[in-house]
Amino acid sequence: MTAPLLVAQAISRRFGGILAVNDFSFEIQPGEVMGLIGPNGAGKSTTFNVISGFYKPTTGKLTFLGEDITGLSAAAISRRGLVRTFQHGSLLREMTVHDNILIGALRAVRDNSGREMRVRETAALLGLGGLLHATAGSLPHGLQRMLSIAIAFAARPKLLCLDEPLTGLNSTEAVAALEVIGRIRDEYETTILLVDHNMRVVMRICDRIAVLNYGQKLAEGTPEEIRNNPDVIRAYLGDGE
Amino acid sequence: MRSARAGQIVVALAAAAVLAFAVLGDDEYTQHLLMWTALNAVLAVGLRFMLLVGETNIGTGAFYGMGAYMGAICTTKWGLPFPLALLAGGLLAIVVSTGFGLVTLRTKGPYFMLISFAFTEVVRLIYTRVEWLGGNSGIIGIFPPQALDPWMSVLTFLLCGGLILMMYLCEQSNLGRVFRAIQNNDAVVETVGIDVVQIKLVCLVIASFSVGIAGSLHAHIYNVISPGDFSYLVPVFALAYIKIGGDANVMGAVIGAAILTVLAQMLQGMGSLEHVLFGGAIVASMLVLPDGLLGGGRRLLRLFSRGRA
Ligand SMILES: Nc1ncnc2c1ncn2[C@@H]1O[C@H](COP(=O)(O)OP(=O)(O)OP(=O)(O)O)[C@@H](O)[C@H]1O
Ligand SMILES: [Mg+2]
Repeated sequence: MTAPLLVAQAISRRFGGILAVNDFSFEIQPGEVMGLIGPNGAGKSTTFNVISGFYKPTTGKLTFLGEDITGLSAAAISRRGLVRTFQHGSLLREMTVHDNILIGALRAVRDNSGREMRVRETAALLGLGGLLHATAGSLPHGLQRMLSIAIAFAARPKLLCLDEPLTGLNSTEAVAALEVIGRIRDEYETTILLVDHNMRVVMRICDRIAVLNYGQKLAEGTPEEIRNNPDVIRAYLGDGE
Repeated sequence: MRSARAGQIVVALAAAAVLAFAVLGDDEYTQHLLMWTALNAVLAVGLRFMLLVGETNIGTGAFYGMGAYMGAICTTKWGLPFPLALLAGGLLAIVVSTGFGLVTLRTKGPYFMLISFAFTEVVRLIYTRVEWLGGNSGIIGIFPPQALDPWMSVLTFLLCGGLILMMYLCEQSNLGRVFRAIQNNDAVVETVGIDVVQIKLVCLVIASFSVGIAGSLHAHIYNVISPGDFSYLVPVFALAYIKIGGDANVMGAVIGAAILTVLAQMLQGMGSLEHVLFGGAIVASMLVLPDGLLGGGRRLLRLFSRGRA
């Protein structure tokens, strides 16, 4: 087996009295799509914030491409090839689609003609090719979600972390988005970490899945193993009733 | 696209006209009005420069004052040549704003505004306490070389125009795009590998440099400076220039500075009524023209062209 891309060793993050992430360890292998699922408030977004450098882990260690990245700034981690999107879809509302994607490419590509090519290619991939001059905030919701992925992917990360990229999309849009995510993995050899609530989608696209519950890892394995794991079934169906 | 080109031509023509006036005109009062306008325009464009990253930098007043005091000291105490006095004002502003930015730029919004406000007031208090800087009464007799006298308004116009042009070009470049992106959503900018604090520092330093040079010019144009000239009111007025002219682009700030500088002069000598009328004019224009004169003009133009079509 090749060396893992990202190793999280027993990461925890505390907010005052609550442990949002508790002693969570996982590895991401190059080339795979790894899913991260769990009920609301399980700590998925907090995990994203910790691995991408937006929050420092309270304890634990992060290794990316063999390098210790614990405590590095978000920008520094991004420049090493780990880029994330935000759950609530983040974009530069008052700027054009073109400039949104250009910002994503700015650090990754050094010359202006290269940047323009990067913008066009990325826009085309995400179905935004004809909209380069539209203002981001005026796009329909589905395209705004695509644009927030485009900004992140314009940096051509090695590990792309998507926090609920499909939320709020209708079924046609979701199918198209999934196809794009598949192309990002296959054609660009990008490793992907994906959070989503749509179980069917996660089961279909992910090679491996980790399940979080109350900040702790409940299970990890192939979609098949997760589907049949009694703990997972209980966390999703049992607890509430 | 076409209207942007037309706008550039109008601006160039207006600048040429003012320049010709500065060279040929011999009415001293009007020449002074021109210089005050130019200084205020740099202040407005400098304050607006940091508004591009979303921060209201009350420190603009402090850096303007530092430039003025530095320029005054170079000329009156150290006997340095005038160009060096101008440059020294800008350089001091660079050094101090770098330190100030490194300490404060992790804060943003109202926090940064309050800190920069406190900074400006503390610096002003320091002037009043230091005997060497003239204490409360400040420094007098700050003159540019006599040979430059007939050229001062041209020089001021060109220098201020150059500083404004520099900031304008920064805004049009990719750096300016990053500024706007930070104002829109700094987390997104950070996720694609750009150091937000570092970019904000660059922004602060460029603006402070410009304002510092303008401050040194101020000292040599007014010939007298005192601590009270460099309070938080400096950026507050600059903000009024921006809002009245229109904050969508640099020209709005320049036009606002020109109108309010002239208005303030016209109202002078009316006693306390001056401030009432000045404030009233600001409030009235904000109510009638929320996006400034430039924005109002643009709307009028659009209305007009739609009426014809
Ligand atoms: N900045 C913060 N300050 C305080 N508490 C926080 C913060 N961020 C997250 N939390 C808490 O940490 C816990 C985990 O939140 P998190 O957003 O990581 O969950 P999630 O799994 O992403 O949930 P969802 O499916 O709703 O997005 C929650 O109890 C949340 O209230
Ligand atoms: Mg979440």
